[in-house]
Amino acid sequence: MKKSIQNFAVGLICSASMLACSKSTTTTVMPVTAVRVNDIPADTIVGLSAQGAPITNGKYTFYSIEKNAIVPNTDSATTKWDIAFMSTRIITNGGTSGIGQGGAFVFTGLFDALKTIPTDSVFKTDNAPSSYAITTGSGKGWYNYDGLTNLITPLAGRVLVIRTASGKYAKIEIISYYKGGVTLPATASDMDKLTKQRYYTFRVAYQPNGTKTF
Amino acid sequence: MSVIAQSRMSNDTLQLLGDSVVITANRYARKLSNVTVPVSIINAKQIQEIGAIRLTDVLKEQPGLTMTSGFGAGVQLQGLNPDYTIILINGEPLVGRTAGVLDLNRIALGNIKKIEIVKGPSSSLYGSEAMAGVINIITDAANAIPLQATFRYGTYQTMDAGVNHSIVSKSISYQGYYNYYSTDGFSIRPNSTSRTTTPITRYTIQQQLKYHFSENTNISLSIRATDEKVKNEISVVNGGATITSYGYEHNTDQNFNASFNHKFSNKLKTSFRGYLTEYNGRQDLLTVAGVPYYDLLNHLFQRIENQTDWNINKQTNLIFGAGTVLEGVKSNRYDSEQIRKTNSIGYGFTQIELNPTKNLIVIGGIRFDKNEAFASAFSPKISASYKINEHNKLKFSIGQGFKAPDFRQIYLDFTNAAAGGYSVFGSDQAQKVIAQLMNAGQVGTLYNTYYQLNTLKPEYSNGMHLSWDYESGNKTFLSIQLFRNDINNLIQVQQVAAYVTGAQIFSYLNVGRAFTQGVELESKYQLNQNIALSGGYQFLLSGDKDQIAQIKAGKVYTRDANGYSRLLTVSDYVGLSNISQHRAQFKCNYHDQKGFFANIRFIYRSRWAVNNTNGNEVFDNGDEFAKGYISVSSAVGKEYKNGLSIQLGTDNMGNYVDAVNLPNLPGRTFYGVLKYQLLNKK
Repeated sequence: MKKSIQNFAVGLICSASMLACSKSTTTTVMPVTAVRVNDIPADTIVGLSAQGAPITNGKYTFYSIEKNAIVPNTDSATTKWDIAFMSTRIITNGGTSGIGQGGAFVFTGLFDALKTIPTDSVFKTDNAPSSYAITTGSGKGWYNYDGLTNLITPLAGRVLVIRTASGKYAKIEIISYYKGGVTLPATASDMDKLTKQRYYTFRVAYQPNGTKTF
Repeated sequence: MSVIAQSRMSNDTLQLLGDSVVITANRYARKLSNVTVPVSIINAKQIQEIGAIRLTDVLKEQPGLTMTSGFGAGVQLQGLNPDYTIILINGEPLVGRTAGVLDLNRIALGNIKKIEIVKGPSSSLYGSEAMAGVINIITDAANAIPLQATFRYGTYQTMDAGVNHSIVSKSISYQGYYNYYSTDGFSIRPNSTSRTTTPITRYTIQQQLKYHFSENTNISLSIRATDEKVKNEISVVNGGATITSYGYEHNTDQNFNASFNHKFSNKLKTSFRGYLTEYNGRQDLLTVAGVPYYDLLNHLFQRIENQTDWNINKQTNLIFGAGTVLEGVKSNRYDSEQIRKTNSIGYGFTQIELNPTKNLIVIGGIRFDKNEAFASAFSPKISASYKINEHNKLKFSIGQGFKAPDFRQIYLDFTNAAAGGYSVFGSDQAQKVIAQLMNAGQVGTLYNTYYQLNTLKPEYSNGMHLSWDYESGNKTFLSIQLFRNDINNLIQVQQVAAYVTGAQIFSYLNVGRAFTQGVELESKYQLNQNIALSGGYQFLLSGDKDQIAQIKAGKVYTRDANGYSRLLTVSDYVGLSNISQHRAQFKCNYHDQKGFFANIRFIYRSRWAVNNTNGNEVFDNGDEFAKGYISVSSAVGKEYKNGLSIQLGTDNMGNYVDAVNLPNLPGRTFYGVLKYQLLNKK
């Protein structure tokens, strides 16, 4: 209820200053609720080699934001998925990664505070292997890697703004990279750090009406 | 009565210390009651009573000092890291620091006369890095005990055996000291999974000779050498692969100093000092896969100095001096282990002490360092003490210090193949090496920090302290001290680039502005003839000023209980890592006339931030903390008139352990000490 009042207030402000947000005021603003998605595996470690190196299947986990469900790998060449995860890399269904209209950028700020995607935002598309819409690397995109503790921590105050395969908009906040939704403590065993990593917990808000307002 | 028995009896009463002599505070001997800066003195008696054998054992029980772990046992003074405290033996610095930390376990305590701790940058007359303070360990050539042997044995097969022998005549004072120490004590390395007990053996030898040519002229020579061997089994995780290695570490440390002292008159004296020290550390790692790896550090430090003391008149004392330092480091962590990186420093200092009235002492001093590699810098200080009345005294000091970048911050060229392949390059190397790596196509991304790489500038600090001392009837002593340190141009490790593989490339930048401030309380109370109580407390706040500005600007985030981001508030901020807000210690000491003594000591340290777990790069309440703890230790003993003494003790009675955050704190340990002193029959 509170949220819809806020959105109503946004609508009022927008209609008062037509110049600032000319387009969105003409569309009815639908309240969007965020859902929390737990423990999406992202090419998890399935074993250790004789030398002790981690073994994975090297495959993405494809995910449909619209359906809030994992999409089978056989549908990787379709527009049925919006984003996909493989270890710390997140791709969108567009550019070199897929045939959809997907794109993304990383917004610095609070999830709830991002009510409308700023009009001057630039959605990037994947251009593998040199660049990705969601920047890879520690401290550059959505996470930080600590070389001493070997832990991946999602950066607080980062929102992944996603354009889906069908050209609609969503926002995602990643909460954890570890199974159970909480980053492991530095003191966790090396085995836990290996086997419990590569599980994404995030919250996502999807605007099905095609507007940039949440 | 023997000399030693006399000294023992005089030490049996509570040390209110007003009459103790301090050398470190003013660079010349002064009664503690006439010193204007914060000083603590630990005498040999106090060291023995707590069964301390290495420098760490005794420092950890001092107010305002916190021991750190990682790269050996270091000491944090007023919240500042170990690299800001100079460790001196008889006024000459020890070298051989790893990552800025000088391992205090290297220092045996068997022939120590006393330890003086001077806090704050007013100690900057000793050199550029003494921004936090100076710890001066004073050994005694003129010890009157002809022969003393000590044997101590305890948990983890910790054995310490020492012999001192002395010859004192009218013209010659000689002391020889021999110490053997071995243990299966605790050890830790970064990224190591096995925190095994590690066998260590150490030998220490010191020879000191003082010869008086006449009443006014003497020469003294001292040589001290330590040799340390460590055997280690280490497991390192590299991208999930566990590699077990066997480590052999061999560290040697030699100090040689000579001084010539001449008194022209009662008002004028001068001394020339020459000092040479070399630290050599070598670690060999043999992995199961058979890839040998080693680490080499050789630090050579030479210094010549002259100091002249001139007592101009009753109200005015002046000292002035000058010296030159030549030092150099060789390491395989630099571009070539064959080439010694060198630096030379020329310096001069002067200090004037004024006693305009009976109750007021004002001391002003300045040191000038001309560093070959960096800009020259002045370190001024001023301090004063005012006796309000018989019981109360106020002290104030303010000073400025600077710390030149050290060799590692300039020359490091290190890639850790064993732990993820990250690299750290010194400021002098970074741009050159990264450019080479880029040409070879190995660099993935350059960070904004890469473009800020520049010649490192020295760090600057301003420190001040204000204290009030109360003393009554040789029974009660209370001191409350406020302090504040501000450091600018902090040199910090920053990621500047990443390899194509994602591995990080770090270098050093002048980025931070930090502060520490707090309150320190010290109290002593002589309950009766036999029982003395003492206690200390420190409240400490710290912070990175740039981080606080970012938080205030609403640019720093944290997470709530659900893991959702929210803005961090200043009240969530906890400051620098590894700093406990509260520290306290309490000691109860019993003595009687028959030579029996007993003590119980409590140390409390509140939680401290160890890891930034919520990814916002500042330490806040949402991060990982090491738990606060209390450690209780106790000892009992008896000294017999025939020179024999026995002692039994237990440290960390509550068996508190934290293998990750307190690797230097073993669980409950027991020990026994047997000592024999051949007493002077005079």
